[in-house]
Amino acid sequence: MSPLAPLALSTFLFCTGLYGVMARRNSVLVLMSVELMLNAVNINLVAFQGLFYPGDINVSGQVLALFVIAVAAAEVGVGLAIVLNMFRNRASVNVDDVDLMRW
Amino acid sequence: MSSFLLLAAEGLEPFTGEPSALVRSSWIIVVLPLLSAAVIAAFGRLMPMKGAEVGIGTLAVMWVMALGVGWETFTNPVYFYENSLAWAPLGGGITLELGMLVDGLTGMMLVLVTTVSLMVHVYSREYMHGEERFTYFYAMLSLFTFSMLVLVLANNTLQGVVGWELVGLCSYLLIGFYWQEKSNADAANKAFLTTKFADVGLIVGVIILSSGVGSLGGEFAETPFNLTLTNQAAVAGALPEFAIVAGMLFIFLGCVAKSGQMPLHVWLPDAMAGPTPVSALIHAATMVTAGIFLIARLYPVLAQSLTVMNIVAVVGVITLFLGGLVALVQDDIKKVLAYSTVSQLGYMMAALGVGSYTAGVFHLFTHGFFKALLFLGSGSLIHAVHSNNMSDMGGLRKYMPHTFWTFVVGSLALAGFPLTAGFFSKDEVLVGAGIWSDNGLVMGDVVFWVGLAGALVTTFYMARAIFLIFFGEHRGAHHDEHGHDGHDGDDAHAPEPTTVVDEQGVERPVPAGGAGGGGDHHGDPHESGRQILVPLVALALLSFPVGFSGGFLWTNVGGSEAMNFETWTATEVIDHAQYPFLADYEPWGEVVDGEFVKPASDDHGGDGATGEGEEASAAPLASGVNAAPLAAAAEDGGVSNHVLHGAPTFHLEVFVPALLAFIIGVGGAFAIYGRGRPERDPTLHMGGFTTLLERKYYLDDIGYAAVVVPVRDHLARWTSDSSNDGRYAIDKLVAGVGTLTKRLSLSTYRTLDQKVIDGGVNGAALSAAWWSERLKRIQSGDVQRYAGALVAGTVVLVLVIAANA
Amino acid sequence: MSGQEIVFILIGLGTAASAILTVTSKNLVHAALFLATTLAGIGAEFLVLRADFLAWVQIVVYVGAIAVLFLFGLMLTNAPIGREALDSQNKPLGLAVSVSMFAVLMTLMVDAYGGMRQPLDSQPRIADIGDAIFSTWVFPFELVSLLLLAALVGAIMISRREDGESGDREAPSVIEMGEPPSTEVETGADTGTELEASGGQQ
Repeated sequence: MSPLAPLALSTFLFCTGLYGVMARRNSVLVLMSVELMLNAVNINLVAFQGLFYPGDINVSGQVLALFVIAVAAAEVGVGLAIVLNMFRNRASVNVDDVDLMRW
Repeated sequence: MSSFLLLAAEGLEPFTGEPSALVRSSWIIVVLPLLSAAVIAAFGRLMPMKGAEVGIGTLAVMWVMALGVGWETFTNPVYFYENSLAWAPLGGGITLELGMLVDGLTGMMLVLVTTVSLMVHVYSREYMHGEERFTYFYAMLSLFTFSMLVLVLANNTLQGVVGWELVGLCSYLLIGFYWQEKSNADAANKAFLTTKFADVGLIVGVIILSSGVGSLGGEFAETPFNLTLTNQAAVAGALPEFAIVAGMLFIFLGCVAKSGQMPLHVWLPDAMAGPTPVSALIHAATMVTAGIFLIARLYPVLAQSLTVMNIVAVVGVITLFLGGLVALVQDDIKKVLAYSTVSQLGYMMAALGVGSYTAGVFHLFTHGFFKALLFLGSGSLIHAVHSNNMSDMGGLRKYMPHTFWTFVVGSLALAGFPLTAGFFSKDEVLVGAGIWSDNGLVMGDVVFWVGLAGALVTTFYMARAIFLIFFGEHRGAHHDEHGHDGHDGDDAHAPEPTTVVDEQGVERPVPAGGAGGGGDHHGDPHESGRQILVPLVALALLSFPVGFSGGFLWTNVGGSEAMNFETWTATEVIDHAQYPFLADYEPWGEVVDGEFVKPASDDHGGDGATGEGEEASAAPLASGVNAAPLAAAAEDGGVSNHVLHGAPTFHLEVFVPALLAFIIGVGGAFAIYGRGRPERDPTLHMGGFTTLLERKYYLDDIGYAAVVVPVRDHLARWTSDSSNDGRYAIDKLVAGVGTLTKRLSLSTYRTLDQKVIDGGVNGAALSAAWWSERLKRIQSGDVQRYAGALVAGTVVLVLVIAANA
Repeated sequence: MSGQEIVFILIGLGTAASAILTVTSKNLVHAALFLATTLAGIGAEFLVLRADFLAWVQIVVYVGAIAVLFLFGLMLTNAPIGREALDSQNKPLGLAVSVSMFAVLMTLMVDAYGGMRQPLDSQPRIADIGDAIFSTWVFPFELVSLLLLAALVGAIMISRREDGESGDREAPSVIEMGEPPSTEVETGADTGTELEASGGQQ
């Protein structure tokens, strides 16, 4: 199979996620977009593992993708906790409202 | 004028031996009084005799050493020893020397200065006893001795000038010893300023002379101030005429003031405001002779120009006569002696001006002794009667016999009584004048006759003084205002003293009864103490023998022809010096490539009269050659082209008029004053003439009006105004500069500082703020935008790298 | 074009479509559900790529836990139900950046991998993966477990209420009354931070 297919998908998902990070107002949606980006990366990893390193004993691509999943989970947990805290303090999860660190 | 006979002396061989250690270390004689002055100044007050013992002790040592040097230079005629160290190069190739020149003249001056100084030191112990600043006095005396000796031993004119100025300074300090009285301070100022004014001439003359010497190149250009080189250059005829005439005239100007010639003698009588020992040391024997000494040192240079010699002689003649006349109307004994000094200095200067080098120096020597004696004696008198005025004295012969006879001896010497020192020396002067006139120079005649007249005047006023002081009735019992002999000033009255020094010199408080009570302490005057009398007696005794070495009786009393005063003070250069303006002049030696070369021949002063026989006319006679006696030459009106005249002989044509002058003088004085009635003094009743004399020829007034008033009142005020007063140009200029600077600074501040610099600095800050105002919006706090920027940047980077790859 | 590839592409199209819907949906909950489908699509892709274990892990963890977590989060933060404008002002920027990023990356990849064909038929067994994890990757594995622990503890700590109680307090009354967030400085004890909020848009 051509590597282009998984790569294209991966890239597309990544850029979509990127768009979502920048364009969404709700923090939770931003987090969702971040998950999208991470998943795109996972596809990449697995595709490369399968295509170019099939005999790898370490099965590096899949294992790394596993790790990414784990870390993404952790990150989502903490991220949502932060969003919750933000909501509690400011009664808003709008990212536009979190701009204290400005001039 | 009949010619004078001279005995030709033996050939004067210059001394070629080895100078003894004493002579080589004669600089110690100079340094000792400086050290003693320092010691006295530092520790004098702590010593039992308040410093006097250091001074007297030092001077005793110096006296012995000086006698040794004098003896050595006397017994080795035409002595010469010079030693110097190159002290500092002055630039222009000139080296400043610090050196000593020991020849006969030096030896003579050493003996004179140390002897008189020693006498004065001993005398002052009693005279200045109880004085508050006794220690200071002794320190100054030592310092003065040092200064004079610096001049005496100097081997170059610059060092001589140093000594000259130091002497002037010490004299100022000592004259103004009782400065609390303004007239004394004024007298000190007058002395200092008058001599300082003339010192300008001295220094200019020294410089001109040295430039003349320096133009000869070689060693002459290296040390142009050196005396020996100067004299050698002069005798070789190598000095440019301008240097000779201008240099010597300016130097003579300095000597005019220092040696009290008219018209700059005016400080000398006023200088009597100092204590009497000071007058004795400084104004009789040493400082005032500095001028004569310098001229004598530079005699070969002087001898090159008839003009200068005539001027010297004229000044001397005027001084000797007019100075003597003023002494006739003085009441103050010290003033009499002061004017007498002026007059005798005129003798010396006149002698030098008519070619009698030996006579002038001889008179300097003898005069030092008996004038010092007279001054010290007058001090003894003043001490006894507490007054300077002769009108307060009288009949003191009974009360002060020792003072009396020593004073008489001194006066006889001064007047030229036969066999005294003054007799021989004054004789020499007249003889020298006669020889000069024999050479066809009229100045000789002038000096001869005026000198005789001066001798008459001298005798007269000294006899007057003696009769007024020592004969008749004592007039002093009524004095009650002068309680302190400290103010020896002209008509000076001290403020009412709180202490009184009585005859023993002990200070006692004035009793509360005021002035009138002072008289009780001083009953009849009595003789002074031993320390005053011993110097008097010593000097009196010396007044005889010091004259013999130069007199015509020398050989009769056991002296040798080869060693007399003339040989003592002769130098090799003077021995061969000739007068260019007389016939058959031949320079001695020549300057070749900057070095002085003596003539190869052995005969001294070789010119016409060599052994072959004299020419008939104008046959000059060498003093050192075994030539035929002058008798033969005398018929031709023989002239002497040489400076030295040979050993002195007896001259009847001098002796008789001098003796006549003496007798007339004494007789006249006795007739007028013998009975001790000063009120009948005719000199005080000569009307206008008396006024003229009393006003000292109005010289003081002329000086005041012509110099003091314009300088002090006009010049000084104009100078001060033009610099200090704002109306004048200088202040305007200064103010203008200030205003300009202020304006410049203001504009600099406004434009440069505030607009440009501050604008720049502020602008930098402002632009930073302006940019920051705009750039800060990047940090919007919007995280999404940050992320967008991040990614955009990444995209750009990738593109860039891709493009380059 | 092998069958594997065709399947991959077809599933990929679906995944991509749901991804786009995730980021553009105006309804929050729809967005979360679309995310879930995207994640599931990705899981299917894993299967196509012969990564079985990973596919099921993806489904379990992501779709099963994380998507649900998101829904919980939306619920807890009072996500408005219904349509609303959910795009921030940065939408143009985001569009530009992501499009350009996509273009650049695609160009690169086509340039690098265009025309290649590789067989993809290896299927590592789970045992192999387990071996790899516990031999080569044991250290990162341990670290990740620590990370999970930290995340766990951290999440709890962060979301804890100050007074120790949880879940009892209601949301601030200001919201219930429907007032927009104020710009006043609120220095309450439980906020602990300075408030300088700009006016929010509702």
